[in-house]
Amino acid sequence: MLLKDRQRPVAAVAHGVGLRLPATSKHLRVLREVGLVQVRRAGKQRLYGLDARGLQAVHDWTGGFEQFWSESFDRLNRYVKELRDREARGDGTDDH
Amino acid sequence: MLSRTIDGPRRLVFEAFTDVRHLSQWWGPDAFTTTTRAFEFRPGGVWDFTMHGPDGSNYRNWIEWLEISSPEQIVYRHGSDALDPTAFVSTVTLVDRGARCEVILRSVFNSKAQRDEVIERYRAIEGGKQTLGRLAGYVAAMIGERR
Repeated sequence: MLLKDRQRPVAAVAHGVGLRLPATSKHLRVLREVGLVQVRRAGKQRLYGLDARGLQAVHDWTGGFEQFWSESFDRLNRYVKELRDREARGDGTDDH
Repeated sequence: MLSRTIDGPRRLVFEAFTDVRHLSQWWGPDAFTTTTRAFEFRPGGVWDFTMHGPDGSNYRNWIEWLEISSPEQIVYRHGSDALDPTAFVSTVTLVDRGARCEVILRSVFNSKAQRDEVIERYRAIEGGKQTLGRLAGYVAAMIGERR
């Protein structure tokens, strides 16, 4: 990730993602408005960096790997209970 | 590492992993379904399948079972296809708790880059359900390094 380890001026970001300066500025402004990127003034330059708080929120919302397994485990739990109940009724574990 | 206690004896939880007829009933997040091309539950055997998200997105999956110790442990390699360089190894350990069973999932990534790649992919799968997932993809595309 381009901005992961260090802050960069807009020109460096533009170069990194292969976009023209105005388009890059526009993207960075949107990302700043939604709290994913933060900007810091250093002399005449504006340096862009990731806003960890915003990214954490995205990560929490989207969940990823953990969310995948959390929901799979819920479904596994329901399914195993179903297998167990079927067995208790003497149906075996086959689908009927 | 993730773990969860399941309301059922270990042998039934193990059984739920051993047959695609069972796996298709629970694998994946809510509202996901799977289509299986091939399934063979033995060491070296493969489960070749596609996951379908509720929004119509499709995700290729390729799982090779590496070690199977009935009924306590399953080790598998999971990627998008046989040659996927970001495939990673997971170990599922089933701990007998009498009427219940604790499932422990450990995934090992060869590098931080590989782990990030996998997390990104799972985030994309979640995006099949959540609009914000698309925002994450947008952000990744915008600020990520181009390959």
